[in-house]
Amino acid sequence: MTTEAIEQQLNAEIEALVSLKKGSVNNATDLTVLGIDSLKFVSLVLAIEQRFGVNLMKVGLKPDDTKTTRNMAKVVERALAGPKS
Amino acid sequence: MSLSLPYFRNRRYLTGIDWIIGGLHSSARKSTGVGSFSQAILDVNGRLDDSIIRRSLDQISARLRIIHGRVARDWMNIAPYWKIPKAGTTTPIRLRVVDLPAGSHCDAEKALADHVNAPFESESQHLRVMLVRIGNEQSRLGLVFDHRLLDATGAEAFLQLIDETAQGRLEEFAGKMKQTEPAHLDHWLRRFSSGRRLNKLLYKLNEQDVCGLQIPPKGAARVKFVHDSLTPEETAAFSVRAGEEIGMPIILPSATARATLAMRTVFPETPLPGTQYMLSTSANARPQGQLWESFFFNQFSFLMFSVPKDAPNDMPTVAGMMRDQFFDQMRENIPAAMADAAVLWRIFPPWLVAALTRFLFKGRMCSLYFACLRETGFTGDTFLGLPATNIIHTPLAFSPPGLNLCMTYFGGRFNLVLSYLEGAMTDDEAKRMMTTFKASLVA
Repeated sequence: MTTEAIEQQLNAEIEALVSLKKGSVNNATDLTVLGIDSLKFVSLVLAIEQRFGVNLMKVGLKPDDTKTTRNMAKVVERALAGPKS
Repeated sequence: MSLSLPYFRNRRYLTGIDWIIGGLHSSARKSTGVGSFSQAILDVNGRLDDSIIRRSLDQISARLRIIHGRVARDWMNIAPYWKIPKAGTTTPIRLRVVDLPAGSHCDAEKALADHVNAPFESESQHLRVMLVRIGNEQSRLGLVFDHRLLDATGAEAFLQLIDETAQGRLEEFAGKMKQTEPAHLDHWLRRFSSGRRLNKLLYKLNEQDVCGLQIPPKGAARVKFVHDSLTPEETAAFSVRAGEEIGMPIILPSATARATLAMRTVFPETPLPGTQYMLSTSANARPQGQLWESFFFNQFSFLMFSVPKDAPNDMPTVAGMMRDQFFDQMRENIPAAMADAAVLWRIFPPWLVAALTRFLFKGRMCSLYFACLRETGFTGDTFLGLPATNIIHTPLAFSPPGLNLCMTYFGGRFNLVLSYLEGAMTDDEAKRMMTTFKASLVA
């Protein structure tokens, strides 16, 4: 799966989570300004884990990793490259 | 088993979470003689005109009769619903005006604390307003709300609705408000399965005794409050620190860790001994961007966290424990399971829900109740043309545990409030717990 494909799927996931129109989120959107609270954030991480079959907690997240979908896609790629959960 | 029982589509049936709140209301009334009431207090620079507020409240009262409803049972399916009275049969929302001389801030605090500690006059009254004017310098508008009708965010939005109504915009907002809810008498297998999942968690959490405060004997105990707040800089710094602590940009695990350790610092040995501190917290379930649509009733569910009594006194470690429990419960979809399963509890009257819960948890549901609201329902920066400077809350302490720690957000900063049942802890212990909690947030 290409980085662009992962980014697109992440953008769609976030748009659905925060009830935004399709195309509202791009790979550089600052996710911290979207009003994603703790509960929604954890839901997002779990949705990503399920979609890509990875365990992001095991990869070890840093706050910057979840600032944009571009950064998140890199973490997913890292997780996909490692052992599957 | 997807048999769906019939219901009236124009009714607002109470959800499972509404029913849990009803149980907490019943339990609180037993301890305090009041109920699960709370108060949102809007602080404004300058002198508010009470006649404008009176007019707004009258218009809201006439347009939204749902605020005068009461709990009733549907004769057809026995599900509880919110019975809305006919037009012309409602009583006005009470507004009391207190004028104090300039500088009387302590007297204002006392008046507002008294305001939330008084019961409503009838089962159909759920809102009450007090305007405290301190000279010409400051006005404080306290909205006491029945938690069965509004949650904290809804109450903040109600304050904004007063302002919008004064500007002739009531209909613009009232028209959006959802006032019906299906009976949810369906998906039986799923609901029983949710109940099993929830029970599994609750039994696991209750394998060990929970450290708790001693609730004073049944009577009319008063709830007292300690307030403090962070500066915007301290709030921002805490958010960054919390993110670094657990590796993701969320604050709930770090905030709950600090609340629990603050309690342990003040109560290393609780009056009710146990081997773990348990914390119950609300989990926001309001749909994003739908504040007005989901204005009424409670738009949240619950999460439970536990910390062993002998856990290390190390914030990142405890925050990490909270984060892992948060993820585990979200993987099990516990907030949704609770909402799903609680639908079945509606068969029981609230007093029985309260009694069963006390029995199941051996009278100590948790060590403290914690809530953290990151967003405000009051989105403006003025009220009736005057600068709105803050909104704080004085929630009554659910009992058990008799102790409630709450973080709310306004103007880029967190407000902190500790509510406690008089007799469950001393004033000095309450102040020390707030000092410890705040120090750990800004450290």
